[in-house]
Amino acid sequence: MNSNWPTAELDPVRRLRVLAGGLHAVMYADAHLDLPITEVWAVAGDLEHELPHLVPTLRAFRCYPTSGDRQLAWAYGPLGHTARFDVLLQPGWCLMQSRCVVGGMAAVPEGSGTRFAVLGGLRQPWSTPFQRALRPLGRSRGLMMVDRAARRALVRRDRGPVETHGDR
Amino acid sequence: MNTARAGTLRQDPARPQVAQEDPWATAAPLVRAAQSGDAMALNDLLSLLTPYVSRLCRPIALNNSADAVQEALIAVFQGLPRLQDPRALYGWVRTITVREAVRVARRAERETPVCEFDDLAWPRSPELAVDVRDVLRRMSTEHRAVLVLRELEGLDERSASEILNISSGTVKSRLHRARHSFRKAWPR
Repeated sequence: MNSNWPTAELDPVRRLRVLAGGLHAVMYADAHLDLPITEVWAVAGDLEHELPHLVPTLRAFRCYPTSGDRQLAWAYGPLGHTARFDVLLQPGWCLMQSRCVVGGMAAVPEGSGTRFAVLGGLRQPWSTPFQRALRPLGRSRGLMMVDRAARRALVRRDRGPVETHGDR
Repeated sequence: MNTARAGTLRQDPARPQVAQEDPWATAAPLVRAAQSGDAMALNDLLSLLTPYVSRLCRPIALNNSADAVQEALIAVFQGLPRLQDPRALYGWVRTITVREAVRVARRAERETPVCEFDDLAWPRSPELAVDVRDVLRRMSTEHRAVLVLRELEGLDERSASEILNISSGTVKSRLHRARHSFRKAWPR
């Protein structure tokens, strides 16, 4: 065999697509953004400041680094409920899960822009049929989240990352 | 948090040798955790399986191998809850991957027909002659799949026939033709 084989490594967006399939995730969407990946990931990777802007059901998200690229995080809902999340955050890749839900984001350069993907779903195996049935709705929700990320990137480009947690 | 992640292969520098010794035994706790909906375990299992799945897909799907890897891994993970014995992971992943790679390659061939060996102005260039990929590219998907299972994976004809859903006789004849084509296109 020689070194001229076509490469077949999974890029982060393809990887998130695989996880969405394996988790039967209700929400998965990816889209091209006419923004450089550095600007897109500056939003997606800044979980504490930006995740509450991207997820409407989130009031605040506090992160505590544990080891390497792993973090422990607490999510705060608008009605005061909380959930503990395990977070894996790497350049272009973010995976989060609590006892009940899983979320993820991924980004890869695409032409002069970025392909950005989001995932959301329930962890319970019994939820698979419901998640499958609601997937069209989940896709539109996912595309809205992608759009919010693009708008946040433009805001940061104009103003810089100045807003505090949950300041929407 | 599921303790199965303690067996993580790539992100635990304290246990780098485990993956080399027996990755499939190491995969067993990850499989159990992933089956219960642990996304982090699924992520670790994905890191473990991707190189193997890529190795199988490249010679079969060639330029479409990235699509084949993705489709194969989706099929693997969607079927994971039905895998009762994690020790069977290796053969199970191989079967799914080869079938998906063949499916993706056939789909691509319908869109872009390959040329025949005899159509080629073959080969005067030594650079081209040493390129195995170019030789494989001119074979049919079915011949490449048989070659991968017999020559790369070392399976016998019966096992290869079960994976490809064809008779042992068909495997034998395809292998004969594939080897003949390879020798013809690879003058030494």
